[in-house]
Amino acid sequence: MIGSHLMSRLYALPLCALLACATTAPPRELVDARAAYAHAEQSPAQKLVPAELHVARESLDTAERTFKDDPKSRDAVDNAYIALRKAQRAEALGNAAAAADNKTQAERDVGKTQEQLLTKADAKLKNTEGALAQERESLAQQKAATESERAARLAAEKKAQDAMDALSKNLAVKADPRGTVITLSGGVVFATGQATILPNAQAQLNQVADALKTQAEHHFTVEGHTDNQGTDRINDDLSARRANAVRDYLVVRGVSADAITAQGYGSKRPVGANTNPEGRAMNRRVEIIVDKGVTASN
Amino acid sequence: MSRFGWSLISGIAVAALGCGGAPKPVAQLSSSEGAIRGAQEAGAAEVPDATLHVKLAEEQREDALKLIKDGDNHRASMMLARAEADAELAIALARSANAVAEAQKAADAVEALKQKAAQ
Repeated sequence: MIGSHLMSRLYALPLCALLACATTAPPRELVDARAAYAHAEQSPAQKLVPAELHVARESLDTAERTFKDDPKSRDAVDNAYIALRKAQRAEALGNAAAAADNKTQAERDVGKTQEQLLTKADAKLKNTEGALAQERESLAQQKAATESERAARLAAEKKAQDAMDALSKNLAVKADPRGTVITLSGGVVFATGQATILPNAQAQLNQVADALKTQAEHHFTVEGHTDNQGTDRINDDLSARRANAVRDYLVVRGVSADAITAQGYGSKRPVGANTNPEGRAMNRRVEIIVDKGVTASN
Repeated sequence: MSRFGWSLISGIAVAALGCGGAPKPVAQLSSSEGAIRGAQEAGAAEVPDATLHVKLAEEQREDALKLIKDGDNHRASMMLARAEADAELAIALARSANAVAEAQKAADAVEALKQKAAQ
């Protein structure tokens, strides 16, 4: 019994020497400190706060030395605890430095982006200002054009009105549904049965031509009319020839040939009774009509 | 030598070991206190990790004060070194949390601006 007890002790001895007696397991604090330092070494601290990492390294070295000198001492535990905190601190300071770098970069980005936005807004503003100036100028031009057009139109209207007023002193001028009608007595302008304008009527026709020329935007119709004496064929032909004669004369006096047409109506449109001489005299006439409305070309 | 003589010598030796084995860690008392105050000023109360280490620092400093009272200046010095290491870690953690929050704020501002610029 005693022998076997001794034998078991002899076996146990080298095992003890291998495991516990020769090398005391390091305290949890030292294991943690080593791991924390290794972790810090892989963190931004390595690059950004090397001095702090160095402090942690020295603290860990001290802990290792203390442990080696006296593995079971409380100082070994305390120094390992301190080394653990210093490694954690180095890593935290590295993270703080990295965050500060990120912040600086972000602030730079903010500045850059703000500048871009400003440049963009500036360009937009300049574009808008340019467009606005153009718009303003074009409006001013339009206004000036409208103004001068209006002035020209008013002047032309006044001139036309003055001419018609002057005309109405010597000739019958009246408004009817077709427009303004200037009536020339057939007896004054032509000899009986003829379509040649009498020299005495020229002054009157000149005055008519001048009045028409002030109304260039209108179209004119020259209508020839007769009384009911004679055949329709003769009257139609005579009225057409007289209307054309007046038209041609007015064109010679400067009225635009495109703006004036002539038409003979014979005795179909009497204005007076054909039963008495006065009525027949009224019916023998040439009417120059300033058509209502303005021609498209103007 | 008389018995009185021996006891006197041994009394002086005990006094030298107990009180004078290590000097009272006066400098560490004030530097650990400064570190704890520094952690509070760095905003450790706002950061849970940092708060924990301030608490550890305070407890260890309390322990150190008791050890000094008991005459164990060496253990007190080690305890104060632990307290200071915890307080300094708390400062670093508070700073790091602050810096990360500020960086995040700046990054958010960049993102918002970039979205505005893209419109």
